[in-house]
Amino acid sequence: MKKIWRWLAELFSKPSTRIGLGVLVTVGFIAGILAWQGFNKAMDLTNTTEFCVSCHTMQGNQTELKPTVHGTNRSGVTPGCPDCHVPHDFSDKIARKMKASVEVWSHLTGKIGTADKFEAHRLRLAQNEWDRFKANGSKECRTCHDYSKMDFDKMRPASQEPMRGAAERDQSCMDCHKGIAHHMPDMKNSHNPAFDSLVQAADSTRIQDGNSYINALPRELYSDEALGKAAGRIEIATPLKVLKQVGDAQQIELLAWRKSKGYGRVWYSQFGMNIVVATLDKATAQDKSLVEVLESKEDPNTGLIWQKVRAVFWTKQGGVMESADPIWDVARNSYQTSCSVCHKQPDVAHFDSNTWPGLFSGMVGFTNMDKDTQALVLKYLQNHSSDFDKTAH
Amino acid sequence: MINNSRRTFLKGLTLASMTALIGPSLLSIGDAAAAPAAGAGAGAGAGANNDGWKMAGSHWGAFRARIAGGKVVEVRAFEHDKHPTEMLNGIIGLIYSPSRIRYPMVRLDWLKNRHRSNTAERGDNRFVRVTWDEALDLVYGEMERVQQTYGPSGLHTGLVGWRQTGQFHTCGNHMLRAVGMHGHTVTTAGDYSTGAGQVIMPYVLGSTEVYSQGTSWELILKHSKNIIFWASDPVKNLQVGWNCETHESYAYIEQLKGKIARKEIRVISIDPVRSKTQNYLACEKQYVNPMTDVALMLGIAHTLYSEKLYNKQFLDSYALGFEQFLPYLLGTAADKTAKTPEWAAAICGVPAARIRELARLMAKERTQLIFGWAIQRQQHGEQPYWMGAVLAAMLGQIGLPGGGISYAHHYSSIGVPASGAAMPGAFPLNLDAGKKPKYPSTDYKGYSAVIPCARAIDALLEPGKVIDYNGSKVKLPPYKMAIYCGSNQWHRQQDRNKMKKAFRALETVVSVDYTWTATCRFADIVLPACTQFERNDIDAYGSYSNRGVIAMHKLVDPLFHSRPDFEIFRELTRRFGRDKEYSRGMEEMEWVQQLYEQCRKENGSKFPMPAFAEFWQKGYVLFPKGKPSTRHADFREDAEINALGTPSGFIEIYSRKIANYKYPDCPGHPVWLEKNERSHGGPKSERYPLWMQSVHPDKRLHSQMCDSEPLRATYAIQGREPLFISPQDAKKRGIRHGDLLRVFNDRGQALVGAHVSADFPPGVVRLQEGAWYGPTGPEIGALDTYGDPNTLTQDIGTSRLAQAISANTCLVQVEKYTGKVPAVTAFGGPKEVKPK
Repeated sequence: MKKIWRWLAELFSKPSTRIGLGVLVTVGFIAGILAWQGFNKAMDLTNTTEFCVSCHTMQGNQTELKPTVHGTNRSGVTPGCPDCHVPHDFSDKIARKMKASVEVWSHLTGKIGTADKFEAHRLRLAQNEWDRFKANGSKECRTCHDYSKMDFDKMRPASQEPMRGAAERDQSCMDCHKGIAHHMPDMKNSHNPAFDSLVQAADSTRIQDGNSYINALPRELYSDEALGKAAGRIEIATPLKVLKQVGDAQQIELLAWRKSKGYGRVWYSQFGMNIVVATLDKATAQDKSLVEVLESKEDPNTGLIWQKVRAVFWTKQGGVMESADPIWDVARNSYQTSCSVCHKQPDVAHFDSNTWPGLFSGMVGFTNMDKDTQALVLKYLQNHSSDFDKTAH
Repeated sequence: MINNSRRTFLKGLTLASMTALIGPSLLSIGDAAAAPAAGAGAGAGAGANNDGWKMAGSHWGAFRARIAGGKVVEVRAFEHDKHPTEMLNGIIGLIYSPSRIRYPMVRLDWLKNRHRSNTAERGDNRFVRVTWDEALDLVYGEMERVQQTYGPSGLHTGLVGWRQTGQFHTCGNHMLRAVGMHGHTVTTAGDYSTGAGQVIMPYVLGSTEVYSQGTSWELILKHSKNIIFWASDPVKNLQVGWNCETHESYAYIEQLKGKIARKEIRVISIDPVRSKTQNYLACEKQYVNPMTDVALMLGIAHTLYSEKLYNKQFLDSYALGFEQFLPYLLGTAADKTAKTPEWAAAICGVPAARIRELARLMAKERTQLIFGWAIQRQQHGEQPYWMGAVLAAMLGQIGLPGGGISYAHHYSSIGVPASGAAMPGAFPLNLDAGKKPKYPSTDYKGYSAVIPCARAIDALLEPGKVIDYNGSKVKLPPYKMAIYCGSNQWHRQQDRNKMKKAFRALETVVSVDYTWTATCRFADIVLPACTQFERNDIDAYGSYSNRGVIAMHKLVDPLFHSRPDFEIFRELTRRFGRDKEYSRGMEEMEWVQQLYEQCRKENGSKFPMPAFAEFWQKGYVLFPKGKPSTRHADFREDAEINALGTPSGFIEIYSRKIANYKYPDCPGHPVWLEKNERSHGGPKSERYPLWMQSVHPDKRLHSQMCDSEPLRATYAIQGREPLFISPQDAKKRGIRHGDLLRVFNDRGQALVGAHVSADFPPGVVRLQEGAWYGPTGPEIGALDTYGDPNTLTQDIGTSRLAQAISANTCLVQVEKYTGKVPAVTAFGGPKEVKPK
């Protein structure tokens, strides 16, 4: 054993005495080229649709793709799997390949081996891809689809407006076009894709301590900086003041109204108006050291006593925007589309903010809105009701 | 023993749901054999032989139709519809009705004099045939003139109600999008079916209730000990649905019948009339004088309170305002009248002892109250609905399975749980984002842009009048032109002779429909749409159960010169250069496919749907049964987080908000209010002793299908609409079954056929709504030759709150008709004349 070691050590450390240096360098160079060729060959081979679907797990994806415009079309130009799913530049490609080994492993171990198992993981797998597209602005899509070369006038009339807007914002394709090539995962309990534009808007907000903002999406509230003690939930489009930012945490101040009947868990934006801005845990709502009551008065419409309250909470950093307008844009669009399927949708300012919840809950069952969208649309209706818009009647 | 029966029951349930799951695939083999060519030629329209079986959907349910020689020759209920309605027998008669509109037509005098025509001639039924281009040019020209002369307050787009089914062709969306691209109009709020209910209930229970999904039938059957059908006739009304109807509720009603027979559930029908439901179930009947239900409820409430049978804890935790209501109930309020059972008995005709018995029965065990819509279609129609909620709150079972109150178990299979699947969207009603109408003006000159739908006639008679409506003021706009599309204004609105007078103020009336309704007769320009069976579409299967998606194959090409609404309105928008924007550059099948694919995408892998071609061939996709649920259970579980949509978030027995409106006809809590006319000793009953109820018909969907000759022949008497009358009232007037009668009051008169039936008590007659209006002439007061009840009903608001219709507050007299018998003029279309 020792002999072999010594021989090896000498082979690498002693200069060659028999073969010329030039020969060695040349042979080494050629060997290097061959190895590189092999590596590239392997890269290319594993970068073909044929390779991808050689595992039966991926065959379902190919079947799904076929009837879509990216699978069959009049000109016969279609992408293969890697065109969309493997980055085109070298280092990202290598990184993606390394990650792919996990998928191969999952296939081999049978984690996603059957259609049912694949279905169970579809949302997670799709989310991985969506995250990647979000991070790179749907770079792979845009190798073919280039905003600067689009003729908006040739688009369907209904597509022109949204596409012009998307081009202006340089929006990532996958923000809107999820499910374009493969089946959508079951999203009933997850959020409306239109909310992604709000996340994006929130991401680009420059937050300064002491300034007031609008909450972009529903978020968890905590009573501690470590974000360990849950306190409740702050709703979409709620005005708040950012007090300070510490690491991943954001300290905010909420100023709102609540009813004295019950535990005072539900907080509203205005006196006497049932526009929900936050929902607190029972203990939090009753915690006098946390919740400061500034004022009490009777609501003439119900006889209930309403309290003006203030409290300071912690939430995750980010998640706020300067103006609620992008939120209302999303809501208005949902309202106009979903609520005109059966009838003409009523003028928003035709009812007041306390009438809308009753009307809305009576009709929303006919729509396909998820829970978060329902809450958003109701909030939009209330905030644009006759209490705020006096022009209608 | 109890356990045992419950297990058997559960086993039954499992079996039932397994059948539901296995059923489709097993049965579809049968389909393929029975209907080999289904879908094969559909949508192709390529002149090839289109014969064979095709799939269709409708308000009356899904069915397969056999085409032979280019005609629909046979209709068979969809194999998954276990309780199809008899009305399917009317489909062929509807398609090939002699009343079909064949060509675009213009009223003779309007063609001569345009908007300066003699409008008193409207209704004389003289029309001139024109080409499509001429007709659409006229419509467009009038829209231009009205927008330029009057602005948006000059044009009214009529409420679209029970349009033909189909999500793409849904005609209201087409009309509103096309007209909306041109300019703004006067539109409506509310509807004719539930006008009072949908306005009052948000104040009380925080939702419209009338269109809300209710507690699942299987929970009611499992938990209820008593079921009270209060003026509700589900067996009659569940035959039709808003989308393609599944008739799934009937399976539960069948089970209920068994449970009544085995004395497991007690069912009482509170109704002046022995209803179809009552006859089917063989359940108990509780007679009540017409329109006095609130008095009966107050008597019950008084008993609940005085015998301490009410649930105080529930009221404390979940309701507000019981204290303000009590003085009224107990007689210490301003009227100084205790609402005792004896007080109630004198008004409602139910003995005091029986009222007490009813109260004790309801409080003793789990009791489900199920209300119909009829009692809110009367003067003060808000009150019975509000008082019903107060009764349910006092019983304290709201939010418990098999308890509480429902206002809609007779409608579109409410009570069948939703599958959870998404349903197809529709052709867009609105303008696309960023688009403005050709006439962008929103200057209504101080008039209201939106009016309560039932006050549309008042606006013509008293333009500029300011009326109260739901806490706000409405200034009635003087509209000069009206467009109706797939809606029969001259069926649903009350008081024909008032309408005749009012319509004279209109310069131009346009009606788009497939059949020559009275609305067409009283229009100036009539455009023939085709029926839903002459175009391709898709529809939701089950408005509430979301059971599936149904393909609606074009069975035959549009008859005569009729066209799909899509094409009519695209041609209209072409006249101002916006047809591409209107259609988004897509044709019928592209739209149908897109609506399907969007729905498929939304359902994803949770509710898998086949690709469009496969679906279209098969004709349907079905989704599994949903989870049963209890109405308001979440509120009962946590009233703070799951607050109701009322101003306070709680059940409002007393509404400060309503009280602050200071409406004498709708004060702050439910009250008994005398009607302006009421039978059984009420006002005007000496002169007109019979109460006329105009319920939803048994063999029509409102006025739809009245023109189907073979179906009408099964119920008409001497060619007239039947008037149901008690043997006692018939005898008193010397009337025999089958006689021709004149029914009349100060508002109008109609010829009807006598249908003598022991289902009706003395003092009550029934003339079903939707019977076509066929006057002898255009003059006010003309005899209606077929029997439209709205010749006799009064056009007044329910109250200042809802301003809804009061059709069921109507007294009449009946006599044998002995005069010269005029022919029925309601059907068969216009008199076509040649212009001079």
